[in-house]
Amino acid sequence: MNASSILSRFTAYCPGCVRWIITITTGILLLECCAIKAEAQLDSVEKLSIKPEAVEKFFERFCHDCHAGTDPEGDFQIEKLSTNFNEKVSRDSWLAVLDQLEAREMPPKRELQPGEDEIRDVVEWIRDRAGQAERTQRKAKGRVVLRRLNRTEYVNTLRDLLEVEVDLTDLMPPDTSTTGFDNNAASQHTSSYLLRSYLDAADKALDAAIANTSEPWILNKVFDIKEEKSVQPTGSVYRHTDDGVAIFASWESANIRVTMWNFRSHVRGKYRFRISGYGYQSDSKPVDFHVTAGTLKEVTEERLIDYFSFPPDRPTVIEFTEQLEPENRIRIIADGLPALPPEVERVGADKYTGPGLVIQWVEIVGPLLESWPPPSHRMIFGDLPLIKIENGSKTHSHEVVSEQPEIDAERIISNFARRAFRRKVTSDDIQPFMSRVRKRLDEGYSFEQAVRVGLKSILVSPRFLFLLEAPQLDDYALASRLSYFLWSSMPDRELLEIAETGRLFDPEVLNQQVDRMLDDPKAQAFTENFTGQWLSLRAIDATAPDRNLYPEYDDILKTSSFKEPMLFFNEALRKDLSLTHFVSSDFTYLNARLARHYGIPGVEGAEMRKVMLPPESHRGGFLTMASILKVTANGTTTSPVLRGAWTLDRILGMPPKPPPPNIDAIEPDIRGATTIRDQLAKHRNVESCARCHREIDPPGFALESFDVIGGWRDHYRSLDDGGRGRYKSGPPVDSSDVLSDGRRFQNIDEYKELLLEDKDQLARSLAIKLITYATGAPPSVVDDAEIESIVRRLQKKNYGFRSLIHEITRSELFQSK
Amino acid sequence: MKIPRRQFIRATGISLALPWLEAFANDRNLKGRSNADKSPPRRMVCICAPLGLHPDNFFPEQSGKNYQLSPYLEILKDYRDQFTVISGLEHAGMSSSFAHQASASFLTGVPGAGRPGFRNNISLDQFAASYIGSKTRYSSLVLAGHGAGGLSWTRTGALIPADDSPSKVFARLFLQGNADEVNEKMRHLEDGRSILDDVREQAKSLSAALGTEDRGKLDEYITSIRELERQMVIDESWAKRPKPKVDIEPPKDIPNPNDLIGRTRLLFDLTHLALKTDSTRLITIMLAGSTAAPPIQGVTLGHHDLSHHGKDPGKLAQLKIVEIETMKTLQGLLSKLSQSREEDKSLLDNTSVFSGSNLGDGSSHSPKNLPVFLAGGGFKHGQHLRFDPQNPLPLCNLYLSMLQGLGIETDQFGTSAGTVPGLSLA
Repeated sequence: MNASSILSRFTAYCPGCVRWIITITTGILLLECCAIKAEAQLDSVEKLSIKPEAVEKFFERFCHDCHAGTDPEGDFQIEKLSTNFNEKVSRDSWLAVLDQLEAREMPPKRELQPGEDEIRDVVEWIRDRAGQAERTQRKAKGRVVLRRLNRTEYVNTLRDLLEVEVDLTDLMPPDTSTTGFDNNAASQHTSSYLLRSYLDAADKALDAAIANTSEPWILNKVFDIKEEKSVQPTGSVYRHTDDGVAIFASWESANIRVTMWNFRSHVRGKYRFRISGYGYQSDSKPVDFHVTAGTLKEVTEERLIDYFSFPPDRPTVIEFTEQLEPENRIRIIADGLPALPPEVERVGADKYTGPGLVIQWVEIVGPLLESWPPPSHRMIFGDLPLIKIENGSKTHSHEVVSEQPEIDAERIISNFARRAFRRKVTSDDIQPFMSRVRKRLDEGYSFEQAVRVGLKSILVSPRFLFLLEAPQLDDYALASRLSYFLWSSMPDRELLEIAETGRLFDPEVLNQQVDRMLDDPKAQAFTENFTGQWLSLRAIDATAPDRNLYPEYDDILKTSSFKEPMLFFNEALRKDLSLTHFVSSDFTYLNARLARHYGIPGVEGAEMRKVMLPPESHRGGFLTMASILKVTANGTTTSPVLRGAWTLDRILGMPPKPPPPNIDAIEPDIRGATTIRDQLAKHRNVESCARCHREIDPPGFALESFDVIGGWRDHYRSLDDGGRGRYKSGPPVDSSDVLSDGRRFQNIDEYKELLLEDKDQLARSLAIKLITYATGAPPSVVDDAEIESIVRRLQKKNYGFRSLIHEITRSELFQSK
Repeated sequence: MKIPRRQFIRATGISLALPWLEAFANDRNLKGRSNADKSPPRRMVCICAPLGLHPDNFFPEQSGKNYQLSPYLEILKDYRDQFTVISGLEHAGMSSSFAHQASASFLTGVPGAGRPGFRNNISLDQFAASYIGSKTRYSSLVLAGHGAGGLSWTRTGALIPADDSPSKVFARLFLQGNADEVNEKMRHLEDGRSILDDVREQAKSLSAALGTEDRGKLDEYITSIRELERQMVIDESWAKRPKPKVDIEPPKDIPNPNDLIGRTRLLFDLTHLALKTDSTRLITIMLAGSTAAPPIQGVTLGHHDLSHHGKDPGKLAQLKIVEIETMKTLQGLLSKLSQSREEDKSLLDNTSVFSGSNLGDGSSHSPKNLPVFLAGGGFKHGQHLRFDPQNPLPLCNLYLSMLQGLGIETDQFGTSAGTVPGLSLA
């Protein structure tokens, strides 16, 4: 979790949210109170069956009693509703009224009820007026307000623009969002702090891209593990065998780990690692381990590279490539070995017969350079000579020189600006940058320093930072929409070239480009950023499970469970699987640790792979993945309210209304022997609570069979007073419930079946989330028709997920601002 | 990035001449400041405990002067006459569903934090900085125990990223670079300003072709550029002046994010140093709360988990341990501030130390009856001011009192409706 704020960590999931079980005051219209005076009489709209006077009468009869005067219910006054639908505030108010009417929440049941026909007419009238107003405005200025690159997009864009790996995340302030996605245009704000970050990040990125030293030497060495001082055999858990070092314990806090002090990255860059070893005395079972990298000076200076496993007895080589900063090292740590160090030491490492991990050698090559100067440098400066300068320093000994500075600078700036602005640039466009570069040259800056000022200027210019779009997107703007949707980054050369030829709107070309982009490794950004937010996976570290209640929770479980939904998502994307798989599926991605957690036999090793699920597994689909079950719980207890609300919002796309403000919460009480079901039952018996909780609670109850780390449970775990000692088995879990429409289910498997009965709704829900993410703004009621047509076309494609992506990129919503 | 010094001087000598002279002049003024402006400067520190403080242990039972210290306030007993505890304050429009998000509004008072469409506004410290910020090297410090999420927001509702590395802040405040580094920094600022100048013009020309809402976004960008340019002019004038010297080892950051007490202590030490050296007069501090158990004897669960105690006696006991440790760090801050003398007063007398939380009750997520504590700052202290939680006083009233305590002439901040009755300057 990077730069996590207190805010995001605690807001994610908090058991206090059980407060949705509060008494909800009746009669709240969730309306913004707009201070616009009532305007002229309602205009007549001929094609509608209802006359404006009738609309007025409707509100007079059914709403005015409560929503008028100085103390109107829900702070909503009918008189304040303006019929100027062109004002966004007033339009939004009307749409909120529409919501209330459609949901039949207003007028309250105890009050005089309008006839169904009357409601339909008024609803139609509002929808029509709002639709017309919004369509007119969209034609003039589009739907999505001017959008800025968010932190992730900015960082990725610099990476692709400069062709250099450099971590800028820590330099940038985190994004705030109120719509569930952090690329939401309306909630983006710019500050002087952000601009300062942009200047600093530009410097750091340019420093990384431009070569200012001589060519570094390349390390290419096989390190013999026996020579590492961290695994000397005396009095410890290491045995030096003929061909390596056997490690017999997994106990990090006792420093049982192979730290390769003999290796140190001498410059930043990519390094290739090959590690050879095997499972030792492991009873024909593979042995797991993980590798970390960093300066290793502090716990925060160490990051996980990945988990691996070696097969028993047969020397095997695993390989990976990793970007390292200077002065980094790596560390190898055995996982899942049963013995604690004292047990090994008692018999002596040489006589110990239990399982271990043998590491033989580690081959390290790096930095891996494609060329010198590196491609990032040549991307900017081409083949201009890099020469040694006078009075240089160790990190700045060379600079680019030019015989014809102005001409070279103009070419460099122009090429760079075209890629940075993601569109064709004219000489007028680059004039401001060029005149600054010329001025600096005149003032005696060296060629490279002057050009750097121009480059940096481009990197903070509005054309770079903002996605400039006309109401009707042009080819370039469409190219950027696609690339920020599917790559969270800028368009690549091919996409820009196609945009330049004006063919990107051609459905066939578009289709082919979308396929190409989805198949590109950069599409992993879509997987991570979309699922990270849609499925709350970014909150995976927001809580730490209670160690007494869940002693089995460990880092390999967390890491594996975090990968599962993304691998699954990728498979659905690759194979165009029906999005019903997201609810229920016959396969998932597992490794040994996760399979053990799920009680699924026959999966060995640390590598995640596709596994067909046995019928009684209760798994398959996002809802029953360990990571999702973790992020929807706190570290101690689960709440059906929370998980239920999450399911309604994320999977069904019918988020429950937030509880009204200024209402006291009930205080959770975990002392008694009552289960959460008992506590909730009380509130479900109160009609005003029940109205929402009838919807919210059932999916949550279905998920009660899973504990806070996503393990299956038949009984709750509980602790003795004081929360110490080992947990004991508590009351049994009851996962049955009734949906608000009367359909019953006994357990999660049956609940999933019920969810699958309305595939259109699953598609609609996901389509709306995707459009919100893809365009930087959620669709509105006005867009219902287009979303319906997307859903209808998807029906014919068996609800294929990849097809849905194609449908979205072809939609009017995506192709206009 | 580095260029030969000779070349640098040739390149920038002319354009830098004026600010340097100004800086020099300012420097002389600075030395004579105490003559020109007799009274020592007023400062403000705002602290937020994001997981609340258990109300039963925080609020005294009696009100007025002769109240009996609560278990938490007992720790501050030496300063009893130098602080006021206030109950019955809240921000309007907060809901328990978004009680954690309400920390965004803690210093702004903007209703509806966390709700869709929420837009924040300027925080108390930044509001004050717009009056007194230019008098110090840093207009404000925005600190956090962990992560970039802090308490300070700009007028446009953008989050100001917080610093959570005491060692880096210390370096910024006190470590003097060598001449080359200073020159490098000057050149950097000069380049930065000319770049901003250029892109502002581009933004203006783009803006003309845009619709109203889009133009609003670009205007924000243009405004931010102007602000940064102004800031850089100030930075330039300070860059040449020597930084204050402090006779103390630079702090070493604590890597463990769960060591919230250790991290808080470092931030408070830094707060004292920054105020003492007049490096800034406004500091906000978002304290850390841990997801895993903090390294404190007798604590086995994460702070967040403990705050949702559900009345479990075991958890309540552990929560009390954690919160008592937090109160001890506050005691440490008050102690340092009161020991630093400024003419005939203590630094604490000239500094409002405000501490509170966006949560009135962490377990139920109640955003009402917030635990509020104000020390120093020249107010008449030594009492428990009790207001009716059922008819609460806006927390912004206190903010208005604090602004006036800083000598800022304003009669409105956020949702304030006057100042706090019964709280007056000495």
